[in-house]
Amino acid sequence: MDVINNGTADDRLIEDIITGNDAAFVQLVRRYKHKVLALSARFARDTDKLNDICQDVFIKVYEHLGKFRHDAPFEHWLARITIRTCYDALRRRQKEKRNVPLDELHYQLADDTNGINLAAEQARNLLELGFARLRPDERLVITLLELEEKSIREVAAMTGWSEANVKVRGFRARQKLRRILERDHGR
Amino acid sequence: MEDEQSKLLDRLFLAARATKPDTAAVEENFETRLMASIEERRSSRAIWSFWAWRLVPLFSVFVIIVGIGNIVIDPDRSSDFSALFTNSDEEYQTATLLGGG
Repeated sequence: MDVINNGTADDRLIEDIITGNDAAFVQLVRRYKHKVLALSARFARDTDKLNDICQDVFIKVYEHLGKFRHDAPFEHWLARITIRTCYDALRRRQKEKRNVPLDELHYQLADDTNGINLAAEQARNLLELGFARLRPDERLVITLLELEEKSIREVAAMTGWSEANVKVRGFRARQKLRRILERDHGR
Repeated sequence: MEDEQSKLLDRLFLAARATKPDTAAVEENFETRLMASIEERRSSRAIWSFWAWRLVPLFSVFVIIVGIGNIVIDPDRSSDFSALFTNSDEEYQTATLLGGG
């Protein structure tokens, strides 16, 4: 019911925005900024980078709203733009990410051998270090599958890749992460 | 060993999923900053568009003047278009190259 109500309200806002009503756009941003930020934060932990990505997302929305076809909920279209923008940001940062040292990863993993529950923040830090070794497409897929708990079909719809492609990339990413943990944990 | 790493990875994912990243700082006044960026983009585009349209007549006049000048200054120019891009020593240079002189 909420989705239907939201959809109708979104359509009304979108019509207003297209006619040049900036206040309607602000309303739309207020409605969805939390979701966009929460999803983007899986890919950018630095506040400035996160802000830049989300601004990019909403600027794209603003500039291309006329192309929105209304054949799916606005939220899905927004999610696809968010994912595409995050992917572009990951590709830009690829080189810098590859140079992250894994010494810290080894040290923190060694602390966990007694089966102590990992704190969420620590887990995020460890994953971040492991993710730094993945290719942007692998990181994108594993984040959506494992952290956002999206299905293969949902990830395929969000990224525009085929379901088989998503499966392969997800599998490869997981294998690679496991190898990283194995190498650094086993030292 | 492989199983152990898989379990560790699952535990890492589980722990990371447990809390959503805190985005409160970025959310604060986000729409104000966003609208400021959009306004900035709009005004910079408006400046480019303004000058582009203003300069169109100027460039048109310039092209016409250059065309007329070209005809007036050198009415007997070669009808060979490529002659514009080659120099007059071409034949001499070719002969030197082939003759090894």
